Order: sequence, then C-alpha cells, then structure tokens
Amino acid sequence: MEKDLITELNSDLEKFSNPDDLKRIYDKYLGKEGLIKSELKKLKGLSPEERRIKGPQIQSLQAKAQELFDKAQQDTMQKKTEKTLEEQRESLDESVPKVGHLHPITQTVRMLNRVFESMGYSVMEGPEIETDEYCFKRLNVPENHPARDMQDTIYIQEPNILLRTQASSVEARILESYKPPFKVVVPGRVYRNEKVNKSNHFIFHHYQGVVVLERTNLKDLFGTFTHLFKQMYGEDVIVRFRNKYYPEVEPGVGLDMQCFNCKGQGCALCKNIGWIEMGGAGMVHPKALEMAGIDRSKWMAFAFALGLDRWVMARYEITDIRTLLGGNLAYKTDKNENTL
Amino acid sequence: MKILYSQIKELVPGLKAQDGSEDKKVHEICDAFTLIGHMVDGFEKIKYQGKDDYLISLEIRQNRADCLSVIGIAYEVAAYFRLRVELLKVETKEAEGKIDIKVNTGETIKRIRALEITGAKNAESPAWLQELLKFHDINPINLLVDLSNYVMIYTGYPSHLLDKDKIKGTLFWSINDKFEQITTLDGSKIKLGKDEIILEDDKNILALAGIVGGNVAEIDLNSNHIIAEMAIYDRAKVRKNARDLVISTEASTRLEKDLDPNGIDYAMNMLCGLIEEYCPSAKIEKEFSYYPQPRKSPEIKLRPSSPSRFAGIEITPEQSVKILRDLRFEVEKSDERYIVTPPTDRMDVELEEDVVEEILRIYGFDKIPTDQVPTLEVVKDITPAIINLDEKIRDVLSAKSYDEVLSWPLTNKSVNEKVNYANWQMITTQNSVNDEFPDLRMSIATGLVNQLDQYRKKNVEFIDIFEIGKVFGKIDGKYAERESLGVLSCKNKKDLNGFKKVIEGTLRTAGLDSVSYKKSAKVPENANPHSCWDIVADEQNIGIIYKFRSTDPKEHIYFAEINLGKALDLIKISDVKSVFELKEKIITLDANVELLRQNPKVSSRSGGSKTPPSGVEINKDESIENYLAKIKQKIDPKHLWNIRIVDKFAIDGAMRYTVRASYLELSDQQAKKLHLETFGLS
Repeated sequence: MEKDLITELNSDLEKFSNPDDLKRIYDKYLGKEGLIKSELKKLKGLSPEERRIKGPQIQSLQAKAQELFDKAQQDTMQKKTEKTLEEQRESLDESVPKVGHLHPITQTVRMLNRVFESMGYSVMEGPEIETDEYCFKRLNVPENHPARDMQDTIYIQEPNILLRTQASSVEARILESYKPPFKVVVPGRVYRNEKVNKSNHFIFHHYQGVVVLERTNLKDLFGTFTHLFKQMYGEDVIVRFRNKYYPEVEPGVGLDMQCFNCKGQGCALCKNIGWIEMGGAGMVHPKALEMAGIDRSKWMAFAFALGLDRWVMARYEITDIRTLLGGNLAYKTDKNENTL
Repeated sequence: MKILYSQIKELVPGLKAQDGSEDKKVHEICDAFTLIGHMVDGFEKIKYQGKDDYLISLEIRQNRADCLSVIGIAYEVAAYFRLRVELLKVETKEAEGKIDIKVNTGETIKRIRALEITGAKNAESPAWLQELLKFHDINPINLLVDLSNYVMIYTGYPSHLLDKDKIKGTLFWSINDKFEQITTLDGSKIKLGKDEIILEDDKNILALAGIVGGNVAEIDLNSNHIIAEMAIYDRAKVRKNARDLVISTEASTRLEKDLDPNGIDYAMNMLCGLIEEYCPSAKIEKEFSYYPQPRKSPEIKLRPSSPSRFAGIEITPEQSVKILRDLRFEVEKSDERYIVTPPTDRMDVELEEDVVEEILRIYGFDKIPTDQVPTLEVVKDITPAIINLDEKIRDVLSAKSYDEVLSWPLTNKSVNEKVNYANWQMITTQNSVNDEFPDLRMSIATGLVNQLDQYRKKNVEFIDIFEIGKVFGKIDGKYAERESLGVLSCKNKKDLNGFKKVIEGTLRTAGLDSVSYKKSAKVPENANPHSCWDIVADEQNIGIIYKFRSTDPKEHIYFAEINLGKALDLIKISDVKSVFELKEKIITLDANVELLRQNPKVSSRSGGSKTPPSGVEINKDESIENYLAKIKQKIDPKHLWNIRIVDKFAIDGAMRYTVRASYLELSDQQAKKLHLETFGLS
C-alpha cells in the first residue's frame, strides 16, 4: 500500500502543470481528507499490536510524502523564480557613452588654478570692455607711452572705451577695490588689433596674477614660478629669470623656460634661442600702487602675466593658432564610442 | 638693434677673452645682455673688413632709447663686466655766424642744433662704411648721408642733412597747416594731415621732422654746401605723426622714445669732425642752437636697505654703490640715505624703484635663489561665486558628453540679428583690422553655430557642444557684458525634451531647481517660432531654449543660452538647506489639478491610489509652473521634500495634471492636513 501511494504521489507530482494542481495534490495526499490522513484515521480501529506495526509505517509514509511534496513545491518556486528572472533579463550591448571634453585652454587654466590655489591664491575675473584708465593709466602706461606700441588696441569708443589688451586691467581694479593682503590670479581673454593668420590672432588668453603683502620680493616671485613650472612640466624643467621692461612693474622680469624640444640647443620652436618666453612679471610699479591708494611704505606687491596660447599649442601640438578658437579644434572619440 | 662685436670692443677695450676664445666671450656677452634686459634674439658669425666678427641682434628695452646706439650698448657691457668705456674723442665745433632759422612749434621741440658747412664735397663712401651700414640694414647712399647714418648708429642721434643751395630763404620748424603732401628722399609721396611737425623754407616742405627728409633739399653727389641739423622733439608727437602717417624710420624709432637732448652736442661734434676728416675743404660757417630748458638729472633718494628688500637677499650698501658708479651714476651719502644722480642720458631713471632695478639687474637676477617655494602669509579667499559656477557647469556638461568650444567674440551685424534675443543694442568696434567682424557678439550662439558649420563640413559626428563666455550689448547708452552659457546639440531625431533635461540637469546641479518655460517674448531669426521658449526661474527670465529653423527634416538642432550672472543671483537666493536627517518616513500625497477656466480645480488622493480626481480649475492665464511655484511658497521648506508633476492628460478641452507632493518630518495626519490646506482642498 505504502509503495503504491508513493508511486502514485510521484506520478501526480510529475504531471502537475500549475500551482493550483500542487494544492490539489497536497489535499489528495496530505490534506485533512487526504489518503494518508484517512490511513491514520483507520489506525483507531486496529488492535494495539497492529497499530504498533502499522502506525510507524503510516508516519513514515506521511514523512516521505511530505518530503516529496516539499521538494516539488521548492522546485515549483525555483522554476517560477527562474521564469521571472528570464522574463526580466536584460543584456549589455557593446556601446559606450560619448565622453565630453573641456577645451585645452580651460584644461590649462585649471591646472594653473590648482597650483596657485594650493598656494592660497583666489581666482578672479573682470570686464572685457574696459576703460583706458584701467587698461593703461592705472598700470603706469600713460597716453603715448612707448609701451602702447606693444599693444595695438581695438577701440569701442576711442580713446576711452576699448577691449582690454591685457588682463592686468583686472589687476588695476583689484588693487583699487580690495584691501590688502591678497593673492589673486585672473585667467582671461584679451584683445589686440591684429590680422588673423596662422601665427597671429586678435584674441589671446592671459593668466594674470597679483600679490600684495606686507613683505614679499623677487625671491618669492622666482620661487613661485619655479614651483609652477615644475608642477606643469616636471622636476627637470630649467627656468630663467631676466630683467625686462614692462611699464606696469619695476623691477621687471622676463620669465623663460629652457626649450623642452631642443633642451637649450636651439630649434625652430624656440627660434634658435634655446629658451621659450613664458611671460612677464615684476614688482608692481609704485605709481600703480599709489593710484590704487595702497601705501608703498607698508605693502609690497608683485604681479605676473602668462600668455597661455603658446603653452597650449605646444602641449597639444597645435600648429595654427586659429585652431584654438576658429572651429578646427575637435576631440578624438574612441572607435567604439556611441551615443546611447 | 644690430651691433657688431668689434664695435663693442672698440669702445670697451678691456673686453677680452680670458682663455683666448672669442667665441666663448661673445656668448658670455650675449648671456649678459639677455640677463640685464636686452634679450639677444639673433646671433651670427660674420666677416667684417676681412676679419672674423659677430653680428648680435638685440631686443632693446622699450624705455632705453640710449641703448639704440653703440655707445649705449658699450656702457651696458662695461657696467656688467666692470670695465671702462673709451669714447671716440671729438672736438667741440662752433661757428660765429648764425643760421637764419625760426622755431614756430611751441613746446613740441626740446632742442635743435644746426651747423652750416661749406666745402663739404660729397663723394661715394669708403668701403668700410658701406659694409658697416649694410650690417645695420641701412643702404649706403653717399658719403655725407652715410656719415650721418654712421653717427646715428654710433651715438643714437639721427641727423638731417640739407643742401643749402636748394633751400629758399629762411628755415622754419612749424606745425603743418598748408602742405598736403611730401615727396620723401626715396621718392615716396606721403599725404599729410594738418598737425605734423615739419621743416620748411619760404616755399617748400623740406622734412617731416623726426621722421623722414623730403627730396627738395636732398643731398646728392654735387652737394658741398650743407646744413646739418639734429633735434629732439616731444616723443609723443613724433610717435603720433609716424603712426598717423604709417611711417617707421630709423629716425622715428629713436625720436619717438626719450632721447637725452644733452647728447646732441657729442653727436653733432662727431658728425662734423667726420665730415671735416673725409671732406678736407669743409668749413663750419654758421650755427644755430635752440635749447629753452636744458635737461638736468633728478636727484633720487635711495634707502640702503631697498635693494635687499626688493630682491629678498642681502645686497650690501657698498655693493649697491659700486654698481651705481659703474653705471655712471653719482652717489652721495646723506643722513641714512643715498642721493643718487643718474647720467642725463638715463631718461628712464626717475624713482627709487628705478634705481633699485639698476642695482639688481647688474648684480644679477641669476644670483637670487629660485628654488624656494615662498611661505607667504595665508590670506582670505576672495574668489567670486561666478568662477565656481562656471567650473561646475563645465564639469556637468562634459560629464553629460558635451564638448567645450571657445569662439570669437567678434562677429557681424547679420549674424547678430539672427541670434540676438535680448533687449539691447549692438556694439561696434571702431578700428578692428578684421573688417568682416567689426561687431561684438550679442548671443553666444554665434560661435556655436560657426563651430557646428565647421564640424559638419569636416564630417564630425555627435555634435554636442557648449561655450561659456561674454556676450555684449548697449543698454540705455551704457556698455554691458554678461557671462553666458550656450549649449548646442545636433541630433538626427527629435529630442527637444532630452535636450531640455540636459539644460535642467545642469542648472539643478548648479543649484537652480525651479526652472519653468514660457513662450519667448522675442524669437531670434534662427529659431523655429513654434519651438522657442524663455527659460524662467523665480519669475525671472534667465535664458532661452529653442530649436533651429532647418530645411533638413532629418536634422534637429537645439540651442539654449543661460545668463549665468542672473542664474547666480537666483542660486544665492534659493540656497536652502539640501542636506537633512531623515527621522520620519516620507509622506507622499497626490493632487489633481485642471488647467482650464477661472480657478484651479483640485482633488486629493494618496500616492498610487486609483481614486478618480474630482478636478479643480486653474485660472486660464496661469501656467502650471507658476501655480506650483505658488504652492511651494506656501509650504515650510523644512517639511517639503519635493513637488512634481507625475502625470498629465487632456480631458474635455482641459489639461489635467497629477501633482505629487512629498512631505518631511510630519505624521500622516499632519501631512494630510497640510496637503489639503495647501491645495485648497479642506
């Protein structure tokens, strides 16, 4: 009887097709009115001797049936889960998202900002439409000064309203507006009245800085720029500081870096000089401090200006300055790159 | 400025190579030039008069007119190497007769000296002179003219020689008010204005003073009766005349800088001495001198500590004084300071800082340590918020797969008219050499559109680009500029809402989360008028978003521009606390809002329930965005997590929105009460 019942249960469990069938099978064998329960009920009518023999057989049968049923139920649940997972299945395709890029000028400005911020500098900006006063006069470049030859100006309303020729105009505004001490850098676009060709543009990118403290000097300036160039170009960089005339500063300093292409031997990149001019600097001219109302006897100040375009062109191997602003700058995309 | 090594050595005889290597010595001198302020930008080994020599090209400091001469350069070298300069000895030239010259130029002339010479028989120059002039990029003309140019190279002072026999009557220095043209020595005809300093006689214009001579009194091979003149003018006037007439000559290059009027004596004596030497029958007959205010050097106070204070290293007073004396400065001690008097040809030295620079550049910038990162004092960070906003936006957009471009702010009227949407007038530059682009851009779209065209021409795919930069306009007569963000996306399928999400996501990340849209008040020509909206935040217009007009149905170009300054103001205002500690569960409730006739019709239900909305009408003139903005203002920010539209559909001509509000730190009952009150459902 036991063997027949288990065989029949197995048969039923193999055939069922949905969860409702499983419930019916349970009721048929293990339910209150099921076959096994009815066998247990029959024990009451047996003698003690028969119950001693038959009882454990039926309990064993019940346990076995329960075991078979549990397994069947577990299998059912697993199949159901698998089916659900199968239905929810998603695949990875081979495309990758397009990557966006920052302009090389921005990347370079950021690198410089990080170095200067690590030395406690603030980053400022200022107007591109300027007045003659802030672009020239307050920087000790009076009208008809020879230094103005260096900067052919684009005028909006000659002679007073113009497009700034140097980011130093922001320096003049900062000197006037903020109480020392301060350390500031100013990345910005400047304009010169030049025809656009492969080597010249009417727009340049300057990186201006000014430091006003109770005590600072050329040694601080030289140390700052050696640190900067090392951060940008590595420990082996060789920097040269030479005297140079700029009306905004006195003493004035020319900032050179040994040509990274020829290591000082002379090549086309450095025009056979062996050095690349990176910018200008110096102690802020006393007249500029006086015009800003800064007490020369109390405060010392140095300023600097770097031209970014040549840096960027060298770094990204760009041969035509127009590329930086003229539409020929493109960003390389990976061969698998795709817009999702 | 070009100079031969032999010319320097002639004046600084102590300049000798210690180990016999001239080559090494010349390189040492070149390095010194660069270090002390005159960068060597060319160097060539040449032969002069059959001997080895070196041609050095120098970038002379702008304020050192004295160094546009062999003498000036020699003084620099001598000071650096602590040697003496031995000038060519010249005799003082004087004459008893007086040349008939009148000066009618006011204060524009500082000094004139002229000598009239007879018997100066002209000829061809000797070979040495012709060869020398060519090294200085000057064409040999004839003996008298070439000697004049030789003296200019040597002393830095240009002279002008006139053929006296060709002059009609009196010589005048005047401000031009009658001559319309001058024919120069090389035959060029130059149209004049009315404000040049000129040299004229009773009939003709003879020279543009300080710039170029005319051909009327030109020296030729038949000349032997001449007037030699040297003059120093107001340099600004010479500079202006030369620039206005677009002329640059050896003379104007020197005279538009500060040249010492005192130096004329040596230069004129040298010139006349040479004329006498090469024209043995020459005789100085008459002279003329005009020098109303002889120049004197300033006396400058120098604190002994100043050189060290500026350099950051110890420079002793004795070292400073030695350097100054090597530079020909007079130095006297007075109390705790020095009184320093520069030589009169050092027109660039006026202040204590100028003196300090002289000391430091000769002491050597290379002696100041460069390897010490300064330990400067800590100062307050004054970086303005717009800098950080720009940086954040660049990061967000590049993370959203957009490429940054930078473009020209100059454009032209027709381009501006296509993209401008702001209420301002165009700004035009007065003198841009780039004639096609005289105007400042009014929208940042100009550059992005140009970039788009370039990329399309060059088959660049996936054009998603942005730019942050200034745009310009005139408002109420005042010049204005704004920091602007432009974003452009070129798609091959319609995706305005995808583009909108990029813009909104960018603004939200920057801290501006209450963005809405309304039909543009001013649609740019470039925009599809059916797809153009103003971007609004806190009821203020902060930009524009539109689809480009396109004739290609497969191409969809979207553009947005944000006024970052305005956006920043709003970000500051809406700077609410965005981080909080979640102590209670978030209660989410829905409200259904109908946009139809006079009043908003609202019904309430718990999030996710299927209760049909009863509907409340919104005033027909009000947008759902404005309605929600008002709702937001009614709720204490600390109890509001967010409000959003989760569904919308049209029904009976009305638009029905399901608005979902999530509340913080409130019980179920409190949240429900607040919800009903806020939406007017209680």
